[in-house]
Amino acid sequence: MSLHLRLRPFILPLLLLALWQIAAMAYAQTSRMPVPGDVLTMGWTLVSSGELPLALLQSLKRVLLGFACAASLALVVGTAMAAFEPIGRNLDPIVESFRPIAPIALLPLAILWFGTGTPAAAFIVGYAAFFPMLVNTIHGVRSIDQGVIRAARTLGVSRFTILRTVVLPGALPNLFVGARLALGVAWTSIIAAELAVGAKAGGGGSGGIGQMMFVFYAYSVDLSGIIVCMIGVGLVALIIDRGVRALEFWMLPWKR
Amino acid sequence: METLEKMTPKICLGGITKEYIAPRTGQRTLAIADVSLDVFQGEFLCIVGPSGCGKSTILNMIAGLARPSRGELVMDGKPIRDPGAERGVVFQDYALFPWKTVRENIEFGPRYRTAGPLSASERDRIVRHYIDLVSLTGAENKYPHELSGGMRQRCAFARALANEPEVLLMDEPFAALDAQTRLILQEELLRIWGEELPRAARKTVVFITHGIDEAVYLADRVAVMSNNPGHIKTIMTVDLPRPRRESLRATAEFQKLADAIWQLIRHEAYEATIDRH
Ligand SMILES: Nc1ncnc2c1ncn2[C@@H]1O[C@H](COP(=O)(O)OP(=O)(O)OP(=O)(O)O)[C@@H](O)[C@H]1O
Ligand SMILES: [Mg+2]
Repeated sequence: MSLHLRLRPFILPLLLLALWQIAAMAYAQTSRMPVPGDVLTMGWTLVSSGELPLALLQSLKRVLLGFACAASLALVVGTAMAAFEPIGRNLDPIVESFRPIAPIALLPLAILWFGTGTPAAAFIVGYAAFFPMLVNTIHGVRSIDQGVIRAARTLGVSRFTILRTVVLPGALPNLFVGARLALGVAWTSIIAAELAVGAKAGGGGSGGIGQMMFVFYAYSVDLSGIIVCMIGVGLVALIIDRGVRALEFWMLPWKR
Repeated sequence: METLEKMTPKICLGGITKEYIAPRTGQRTLAIADVSLDVFQGEFLCIVGPSGCGKSTILNMIAGLARPSRGELVMDGKPIRDPGAERGVVFQDYALFPWKTVRENIEFGPRYRTAGPLSASERDRIVRHYIDLVSLTGAENKYPHELSGGMRQRCAFARALANEPEVLLMDEPFAALDAQTRLILQEELLRIWGEELPRAARKTVVFITHGIDEAVYLADRVAVMSNNPGHIKTIMTVDLPRPRRESLRATAEFQKLADAIWQLIRHEAYEATIDRH
């Protein structure tokens, strides 16, 4: 690839950044307008002090914990719902009535049940991640070609083994779609959860990236800090999505 | 063929009726009515008949994938209720596992079957044997979507064979192939089936086809089916010498048999065509 092509994806962001800097300088002194230069220095301070990586790591831990629990549960429930008609028929109304409830609406419950630490945040994340994973699991298992299941049965393979060797690999592309969507909503909800949990717990300690944002918002009223947090979250989420895609590429060689 | 009649049948269909009931409308379709058929050890039986006369229905019931509404279905004295490794099936659309390579597809039965799965080394030997047998050497690590139609067909065939079934059920396996590939695979099928072997060592084959020539070329007996409701009209014995060669198709006996079958089904074949348009 030539240098020109390699740089192309960066041209537009750099241009926007320059515009931002110019606009900020033009409307200086209002302090509600963050300036790229300030954001940069703030970013450097937060990274070198280790505060930002620590906060991101804390949030990442919660996201992965919530996601792992939600995904395993969704996998089992979704497969059961899709593979066994009566289970699907009976659980569907329950699932569909919980699905529209925003994860944030569960915050009061989460805080009352789990306090203001990792369990509460992971619970919110798990709740948010559960539904995209469930819906895609159901869809994936249902859309498996009945022909290959019949073929496996005529080879003398038991139903349980078929579930493991035919149904799961067959549903895997959809499971990956579900996982990527679930991780996406997990990140959006961890910020909200930590903002709120942080508000309740007050400042101090590593309450994750959301709490860090809350501290910048409520105590030091520092817009640059908030922007740095946003960029940090964006980068981590991007890295995770790329990781999942790489895993997908590796695990689905027949889809290449 | 008198010898056949004296033997006890390998598979026995006794007065089978199959009625499908549509789940939502409750509409009933009488697919086949009162079909009785004996299939003998080592025999190559072809079933021909117009579209929709219930050929696949019969095959699926022998496979254990569907149950008859009435009548009994017995193999080696035991009723058939479920699919089993002793009855291998080659499906019309091949039904290969898209996420498995040729090798993994073929190895599936010996690896995961409930009854006597094989160790890795035994599997390796069997898989290699059948890959060579169906001439897929070199394509072991390809995925089904990377194969030609004929190669997929052979892979499906090898997958069924590698499980070493006693009975091989084939539902129009060559229908989607071009004429040349079909002729080649017909010859290969006879070789793999064990045309040169004594009857007791051969597999028992039930083979559905639309091709009358194909049926006469392959079969020991041809069951001719008829419509409304599906039933077996006649069973013709094909007393042509084995091993069979391409040149056989041009002989007068071959043509006579093919023509006799055509006369039996042409009327209904026309009707089926008219119904469709
Ligand atoms: N699952 C099903 N539900 C309802 N009716 C069915 C079902 N399967 C088959 N039938 C009906 O049973 C009859 C026989 O079908 P079958 O598939 O056995 O025919 P066939 O002889 O194999 O036809 P073809 O040569 O076109 O493959 C048809 O009238 C068909 O509509
Ligand atoms: Mg059919």
